[in-house]
Amino acid sequence: MYFTTKLKKINKHSVPYRLFSHYIQLKGRITKMERLFISRKALLVSIACTLLLATVFFAGCTSSTPQTSTPAATVAATGTPKPVYTASPGNLVIFTAASLSGASTTIGSSFTAANPGTTVSFDLDGTQALKTQVENGAYADVFISASNSYTNTLLSEGYFVNGTVKKLATNYVILILPASNPANIQSLADLAKPGVKIAMEAKQVPAGTATLAVLANLANSTYNQAWENATLANVVTYETSEPAVATKVSLGEVDAGFVYQSTAAAAANGTYQSIAIPVKDNYLQTYTIGILNESINKDAAASFEQYMLSTAGQNILKEYGFMGPS
Amino acid sequence: MTPVHPRQRRYHRTLTYLGAGILIAAVTLYLALPILALFLRITPAMFFTTIHDSVVSSALWLSLYTTTITLAVVIIIGTPFAYFHSQYKYPGKVIVDTLIDLPLVLPPAVAGVALLMLYGRAGVLGRYFNMFGISIAFTTLAVIMAQIFVASPFYLRQAKSLFEQLDPAYEQTARTLGASSLRTLTKVILPMTAGGLVSGAVMTFGRALGEFGATIMFAGNLPGVTQTMPLAVYVGIESNVNVGLTISIVLVIISFGIMIAVRLIQKRGGEHA
Repeated sequence: MYFTTKLKKINKHSVPYRLFSHYIQLKGRITKMERLFISRKALLVSIACTLLLATVFFAGCTSSTPQTSTPAATVAATGTPKPVYTASPGNLVIFTAASLSGASTTIGSSFTAANPGTTVSFDLDGTQALKTQVENGAYADVFISASNSYTNTLLSEGYFVNGTVKKLATNYVILILPASNPANIQSLADLAKPGVKIAMEAKQVPAGTATLAVLANLANSTYNQAWENATLANVVTYETSEPAVATKVSLGEVDAGFVYQSTAAAAANGTYQSIAIPVKDNYLQTYTIGILNESINKDAAASFEQYMLSTAGQNILKEYGFMGPS
Repeated sequence: MTPVHPRQRRYHRTLTYLGAGILIAAVTLYLALPILALFLRITPAMFFTTIHDSVVSSALWLSLYTTTITLAVVIIIGTPFAYFHSQYKYPGKVIVDTLIDLPLVLPPAVAGVALLMLYGRAGVLGRYFNMFGISIAFTTLAVIMAQIFVASPFYLRQAKSLFEQLDPAYEQTARTLGASSLRTLTKVILPMTAGGLVSGAVMTFGRALGEFGATIMFAGNLPGVTQTMPLAVYVGIESNVNVGLTISIVLVIISFGIMIAVRLIQKRGGEHA
């Protein structure tokens, strides 16, 4: 062998030797090739171990513990803590309709700034998904629903604390188009043109029910049944939440999408073009807020509900394009 | 070594059997009980009524149709690819090897986003297809492409390792005895690797049938066109639990059916598993 090096005597009982001995020719000195093998394998194993340790370390580090008493002004300043979705004192789990995604971060930080000692974690999803989760045992303190009918179902099933279900906000449906308007849609009538691709929410999603009602209203008042049929035939996807429709439109993958006015209003300038739907044909979606019976933080939940219904909370919602509850 | 008393040995053995029994029971129950729960939450009458629901039947038909095409494409293109990839060295072989494994570790939603970014109307390639009037996203073709992307590694890896382990002596002997390439392939190579290829195909079928994230991202969710069974379960369970349960049960039955069929084929097929 050309490249043998003079080595110190190897301890044959050491762990590295026992691990790598099958790579080594058992008689004679370890060749440079064999050293290379051992060192490469050792390197890979040590990288893997380091990554594993790092992951465990970071997971351990960032798991949040309930904050009981924190100094007043610094809670908001230290940034958003990692959300906690299990029942924990001092932390509110808020099941929120997905259309409030944008507003939720602002709501969270201003509420926690005004109420040090409480943290909030938002679970955002289509209202229909959240309702199913609650019915199957998921924990939440507060439930913000985008649909009166789902709220009523949960009420009748006894999930809400009596008297805590209040109207939070309202929203109308609007049609949005990608900024470049690839299908050159100028009015609602153009939606029925062949080849137009429309994205809509599935009918189980509150925004989907609202959109279907809007289309029916428009067919009755302005356009005809043929228009409604053609428009529905142009739908290429029924998304499972309202923001998903907005995403597909912003990517330019579809020509038009039905979303809430709040989404169009809150988007950065130039993300979408939009076509308003006449109020008389529109569907007023009512958002409700309520405290769930299973909550272990009923006082904190009540103050959150109070905050959302107060001028402060309502102003945040208005900022994101929602309208008042009445 | 101190001698072990026979009673101690028996005690150790019982303990081992007990421990093994508990482990086996735990694993079996953990896998079997959820499946059982599916059947217990719906009555047979409701099941047979719901199965005629248009959502269920269109999802069923679409899933089977797309998965069969996916499987056919993967087998027809994947087998020769795996053969050449395993037999020859070529520049970049290591990269191709890694890429074959990539969809296995890539989260399906990421795969869907990636496909959308490439083939979508505003996509890197898609914008050129769009100029010719070809649109891929939100069509059944998109479903098939998403399924192929996530499910092909199962077949390709299996085929590749089978062909690698194949002793070239068999092929060479057949050729020296006068068999043509095609005859060698059909009479020698394929029968030897059939068992493994079938199991790879089964895994591909199962993975393609269950694909959700990439499908909903790239192909969307439209009943009859892109709403495969997993999508229908997801949407259905939120509104009509019975629809969700019925489709889930159908999927379980199909999965079991495939596994049993494969076992029977392999048993009858012969010794080369």
